[in-house]
Amino acid sequence: MKVAMSPFLTSQAENLRRLVTELSREFPYVSVLGIDSLGKQYLVQKVSIYIGESRWTERGFVLRVYHDSLYSEFSFNEIPAQNLEDFIQEIRSRVQVPLKPGLQGIKVASYPLIEEEPVEKSFYGEVQKLPQQVSAEEKVTRMTALHQKGFALSKWLVDFRVRYEEVQVSKIFISTAKHLEQSYIWSQGYLIPIVRREGNTRYCYGSFSGLKGPELLDEMDSTLAKTVTQAEKLLDAKAVTPGEYDVICSPEVSGLIAHEAFGHGVELDMFIKNRAKAQDYLGKPVGSRFVTMHDGAAAAHQVSSYLFDDEGVLARDTVVLDQGILKAGISDQLSALRLGTESTGNGKRESFERKAYARMTNTFFSPGQDTLPEMVASIQHGYLLEGMMSGMEDPKNWGIQCMILQGEEIRDGKLTGNLVSPVIMTGYVPDVLSAVTMVSEKTELFGSGACGKGHKEFVKVSDGGPYIKTRVRLG
Amino acid sequence: MLTIEQLQRILTGIPEIKIYKVIEQMTDSIELFFIKKELDMNRSKKVHYFQATIYKDFSANGNDYRGSSTIQIHPTMSKDEVRTVINQAAYAADFVKNKYYPLVERKPVRNQVPVSSFAEAPLADWIPRLTAAVFEADTLERGGINSAELFLNKINTRIINSEGVDLQKEHYRGELELITNWRESGEEVELYKDLHFATFQAGQFTQVLHEMLELSKEKALAAPTPSLNRHMILLTGEPVRDFLQYYFTQSAAQSVYEQTSTLKLNENVQGVDNDPKGDLISMKLDPFMENSTTSTPFDEDGLPVDSLDVIRQGKLLNYWGNTQYCHYLGVTPTGNIRNMVFSGGSKSIQEMKRQPFLELLAFSDFQMDPLNGNFGGEIRLGRYFDGKDTIFITGGSISGNIKEVQAELYLSQELQKENNFCGPQTIQLLNVAVSGHNG
Repeated sequence: MKVAMSPFLTSQAENLRRLVTELSREFPYVSVLGIDSLGKQYLVQKVSIYIGESRWTERGFVLRVYHDSLYSEFSFNEIPAQNLEDFIQEIRSRVQVPLKPGLQGIKVASYPLIEEEPVEKSFYGEVQKLPQQVSAEEKVTRMTALHQKGFALSKWLVDFRVRYEEVQVSKIFISTAKHLEQSYIWSQGYLIPIVRREGNTRYCYGSFSGLKGPELLDEMDSTLAKTVTQAEKLLDAKAVTPGEYDVICSPEVSGLIAHEAFGHGVELDMFIKNRAKAQDYLGKPVGSRFVTMHDGAAAAHQVSSYLFDDEGVLARDTVVLDQGILKAGISDQLSALRLGTESTGNGKRESFERKAYARMTNTFFSPGQDTLPEMVASIQHGYLLEGMMSGMEDPKNWGIQCMILQGEEIRDGKLTGNLVSPVIMTGYVPDVLSAVTMVSEKTELFGSGACGKGHKEFVKVSDGGPYIKTRVRLG
Repeated sequence: MLTIEQLQRILTGIPEIKIYKVIEQMTDSIELFFIKKELDMNRSKKVHYFQATIYKDFSANGNDYRGSSTIQIHPTMSKDEVRTVINQAAYAADFVKNKYYPLVERKPVRNQVPVSSFAEAPLADWIPRLTAAVFEADTLERGGINSAELFLNKINTRIINSEGVDLQKEHYRGELELITNWRESGEEVELYKDLHFATFQAGQFTQVLHEMLELSKEKALAAPTPSLNRHMILLTGEPVRDFLQYYFTQSAAQSVYEQTSTLKLNENVQGVDNDPKGDLISMKLDPFMENSTTSTPFDEDGLPVDSLDVIRQGKLLNYWGNTQYCHYLGVTPTGNIRNMVFSGGSKSIQEMKRQPFLELLAFSDFQMDPLNGNFGGEIRLGRYFDGKDTIFITGGSISGNIKEVQAELYLSQELQKENNFCGPQTIQLLNVAVSGHNG
């Protein structure tokens, strides 16, 4: 089924064009991004059910103007169609540089003008089923069936939560030169068994995601039993003895490394702030020859795939690392302007209410030629790391923190079934990437998470990779 | 444009809808983005939202249920669009088989939160003053502000429901994201801070910047964390809040009802029954805390709130939570209160430092899992005292579980206060796994 454009945005296109035309009389650059994203989230658990708005639901506009060598923005969600002149007056007063000259030596940035080529494009995604084709009742019924099936599998379960979320994203971008439209649907789901034995509580999750509609619910049965078994096994998990180990990272953990280790470190707004060590390594080796990494909305088909970003720049596929050599960063439009480069289409906003930053889209390591059994067989003592919990970047000093659900012990080339959990993986990024010696044959992407910049500005991303073998510090 | 009165008329005009709640929120903001001492961008916003919850009562197998569905209503929706989404929510509420609970009824608000100084002038007038405050102490040669993002939101909220609740408030939510650098002889280092504030306090930003620059300086001098295996650690500053938040989450009525907490009233939350060796946790919730972005006279259901003793000397006195979950547990609803006050303990920080210690001041992202008590994080800055010398350390990680350390932990007498947290400056934990250099 083809995804249709938001009728609301279509109905506002003329108003927005008028606004851009009027403001263009006094501002050399004017653009407006309109967003109408509709989403629902569903939760079925032991003691309650929840149906509510997705956290990604939004409807509003962000206007950008260029004046006095600076770009200023105004976010709003009501357009007074009648009193456009009053509205323009309000915009004028809001975008004025709000600092008194000479205040504490504060200067104002000096940006060049955005030069745009005329572009008119649109993209409408496709899904098997549209969200409205499956009723709330059917979604809850199917989730309840999954919940009950899971609950029957273990006597240690305290709860078995089933989450499902669907979002239709519609965006329109209008500037003096561009008219872009896109609408697509993504969905995500989780199975979360929570087990308890003698006061020891453990949980894990199985996740599902993609540019899909409610058909995602069809997939969620596939790993249900495995997820419950994994939670049960965690009840016997021990703490890891701190130290350096040979490890195999599952595709999910590889994705976490790609994201935290290099993704954040090559966001070019960090280069401008001198916050990224990577800027000194462009063209230089930072990993082994087995490491090739991409980022881009056009690089994969996952939750962060789109036609244009939140600044009206068309999506690309950026090769960040090519056989261990750092090739390029990813950028938003304003960072690219300051650096004299072209934007890579990575300007993303948490919502129309927030600023656009250089952000990751779909970030992943490319596949290699090894198999998982070969990789396991090559390790005398180490761990197979599985389950991504969270991560944190440190682009300035290239530290990496990955919180991982579990490690399964490998002894003399064999998995022993003994688990350690949770596991904190830390290290110096080039050391971790340089130690990559084996890479499996298939890349998998995961899009059920969100990414923050620092501790805020959450956006939808996907990441992944093949199984990779490296050496890291675990604690 | 849609008003709350129009929305209420639409709701009451739909015969199947008898029970509802609407939260209206209008936000005006100013936002400034600095790179060093240069304004990189200015932004502002003016947005208006309605969030409606539609409730449906029904019975099945002799039990009473109250289903609900929550929707966002945009002010740009036509009246037909509004009716459509409300009807969809009412339909969905029929399939939400939650045990019955009452809605909040109209009650007088007992107390007001302190008035913010930001109310004294229009938002725009605060820009020069806030900017000056951010950069006032940025005068040092070896380090300073790398970049800063400053947000000031003025938020007007109104809550109505079908039981007669009609409450309003105005509050301010400020945020300063600050990144500082420092360089000694080696590589330049940075530290990160995300500060939240609700009123203008002279000197607050300056103090934060001074502390960050001092820590940045220490980080620039730091050596790799040594291999310590298991060690006595001191958590200082921000990680203390994250650590103690475990008790906040575990004492929530929702956690208990959903069985993700096993805490019982009148029992010791630290699992210490007799003869405690360390300090015992005491936690109050104070909805009227000064300079907290989560201070409020009523919760999101419109229930007036008051200060509450939750844990005293380790003993759980009250669960806290909204009307739904407190009703399920058969306790008086306290409302959702997000301001935590933890008491200090028996030792001064100086006493804690009389033996070899590893004091941890900054992590990449300290994590406390409120469900199972696992905690840990990568160390960005610490101080290691081996009994003779103190060195600054960085790298490696700590990990543990609160259930393994809570029976004997010590809270500092010295307190800290930041946004919605007031509590000990430092916590002493006796035996925590440390992954350092070479192991």
